[in-house]
Amino acid sequence: MKAHAGVAAAPSEHAIPVPRGAVLTRARWATVLLGLSALAVVTLAASLLLGAVPIAPGRLLMILAELMRHGHGAVDAVGSDAAIVLYLRVPRVLTGFLVGASLGTVGAVLQALVRNPLADPYILGISSGAALGACVAVLFGVSVAGLGLSVLPLCAFAGALLSIFIVYRIAAAGGGGRLPVQTLLLAGVILNAIFSALIMFATSLMTPARSFGMLAWLMGTLTGPDLIGLLLLTAYVGVGVTVLFRQASALNVLSLGEEAARTLGVNVDRVKLILFITAALLTGAVVSVSGIIGFVGMAIPHIVRLLFGPDHRLLLPASALVGGSLLVIADGIARTALAPSEFPVGVVTALLGGPFFVYLLVTRKRGAMQVAA
Amino acid sequence: MTVSTVAVAFEGVMFRYGGDGAAAWTLDHVSLAVARGEFIGIIGPNGSGKSTLLKLIAKLLQPRSGRITIEGDPLEALTHEAAARRIAMVPQESVLVFPYTVAEIVLMGRYPHQRHERLRPLTSLGWESEEDRRVAAWAMRQTDVFQLAERPINELSGGERQRTMIARALAQEPEILLLDEPTAYLDLSHQVEIARILRRLNEEHGLTVIMVSHDLNLAAQYCDRIMLIDAGRLIRLGRPEEVIAPELLHDVYRCRVIVDRHPISGRPRVTLPGREP
Repeated sequence: MKAHAGVAAAPSEHAIPVPRGAVLTRARWATVLLGLSALAVVTLAASLLLGAVPIAPGRLLMILAELMRHGHGAVDAVGSDAAIVLYLRVPRVLTGFLVGASLGTVGAVLQALVRNPLADPYILGISSGAALGACVAVLFGVSVAGLGLSVLPLCAFAGALLSIFIVYRIAAAGGGGRLPVQTLLLAGVILNAIFSALIMFATSLMTPARSFGMLAWLMGTLTGPDLIGLLLLTAYVGVGVTVLFRQASALNVLSLGEEAARTLGVNVDRVKLILFITAALLTGAVVSVSGIIGFVGMAIPHIVRLLFGPDHRLLLPASALVGGSLLVIADGIARTALAPSEFPVGVVTALLGGPFFVYLLVTRKRGAMQVAA
Repeated sequence: MTVSTVAVAFEGVMFRYGGDGAAAWTLDHVSLAVARGEFIGIIGPNGSGKSTLLKLIAKLLQPRSGRITIEGDPLEALTHEAAARRIAMVPQESVLVFPYTVAEIVLMGRYPHQRHERLRPLTSLGWESEEDRRVAAWAMRQTDVFQLAERPINELSGGERQRTMIARALAQEPEILLLDEPTAYLDLSHQVEIARILRRLNEEHGLTVIMVSHDLNLAAQYCDRIMLIDAGRLIRLGRPEEVIAPELLHDVYRCRVIVDRHPISGRPRVTLPGREP
């Protein structure tokens, strides 16, 4: 390779490095993520104890130890509370965590992609696309109860992909093949309205029992899949979230604007394609197990950004951990506040997160602000 | 001129926005050569094609026909990443949605140099090397934003933000720096400050600077040569006194102006005619 005539820093004399406080260091990255992981573990454990049948911490440890040693065949020998933990709480709590983690990460990715801190899977119409897909599946006879492993998630993926494809096409029709931010958001808003109307229409065609189940699911519930479904969801979310994490430094550069990112050597079209498809697939998976849970996708990245800064290398994994933990806490409240009856976790996320979000926005200076240089 | 001293060359470059219809806008068979280490100003009326020219050099747009070479290498043969190590661009407007610190933004300029780091499985997050941090610190001192390193960009003034964007471009260690109206939204003192920084980078480090400007006087005072563009055609490329001439400016801008000599620099100075006394 030939030597360049470009500018270059003099090697020795000005070797004062960038101040450590000004950038994300590996040490801070590791510390924050370890702390948030610990928080997540505590949250998961605590919510295994809570519910209509409370279980003491010591008893939970014993149950988990027995189940580890003998496999789930030993459930009957350990006691009825072991069955509650294994068949009801573990799937529900883990599902909540995976759903929250996916929503937090997807929200952070979409906000950077469309360079708008208001973006999330719902605003762009991806969630309602997925919900419509699931809704159509139910209309044609797929049971809502069989959420774990059935045609329903496939229909939700298809709906999410369809909506992202339409949003993309509408935005690209403007000319040049580029995707202007405002057009994209508007396309999402319109798509949302159309999909919501179609969902209402499909729901009105169902038998009363089915349409009630549909309505409950749409409001966001975490009844939880069976164990095989849970394993599939874990693998699926793990892969999807990892794909998103790997684009973190490209996302940092992309938040300077698409043109700036191109002049910095980012293959913008390829990165956007990877991110949009992965985000659509994760949203499809999440919606098919939990319905529409609002607030998490938009607010979690905000909160994480206010606490730890906007660098996506930390923002994405931190949003996953905080999103997962918060949704588990919210579901704990939904299960216990009016026990023995429950209400949709979507209600809790909005009521719990909204005021906190407003508080942070008003009191902290490093908020997401529109700045023109 | 030998090949190696030419920083940017256009040979019959044609570019067209939109289709082939009557409404299409065209940059018409432009040929030019910018020498290494030159400070070039691009001037011309609104919509004349100044930014288009800049984007062609930045590889943001591809010519329909003709050839662009960078230091003798065809631009189309370079990957975007390779081009980013040689050409840096400061866009006209940077809308920053998230509150990155100045240092974080400047370090993003190291992206085209971090490919190997990103390809390693366990460090795919693209952590900055000591080298990256050293170059970023150097770039921040060049534009006098080092003391602002820890400040979030949204708390800075317009001039400080623009200096940060120039530092980000410098962190790419480019041969050629492109700027699209770098002083557009700045008050007088910040305009002069930016112009001085660019001039110093050009003189002390041999950086080739190509700057689009609406400010004819700024271009006349600081540039070695000026490129006058009108309706997609290169009208003239020459020293300020060859381009900043009343007749030529009238032909292009359709406006009478007074051109005299700057009392200190001796370079041409443009004044609006004003009211009759």
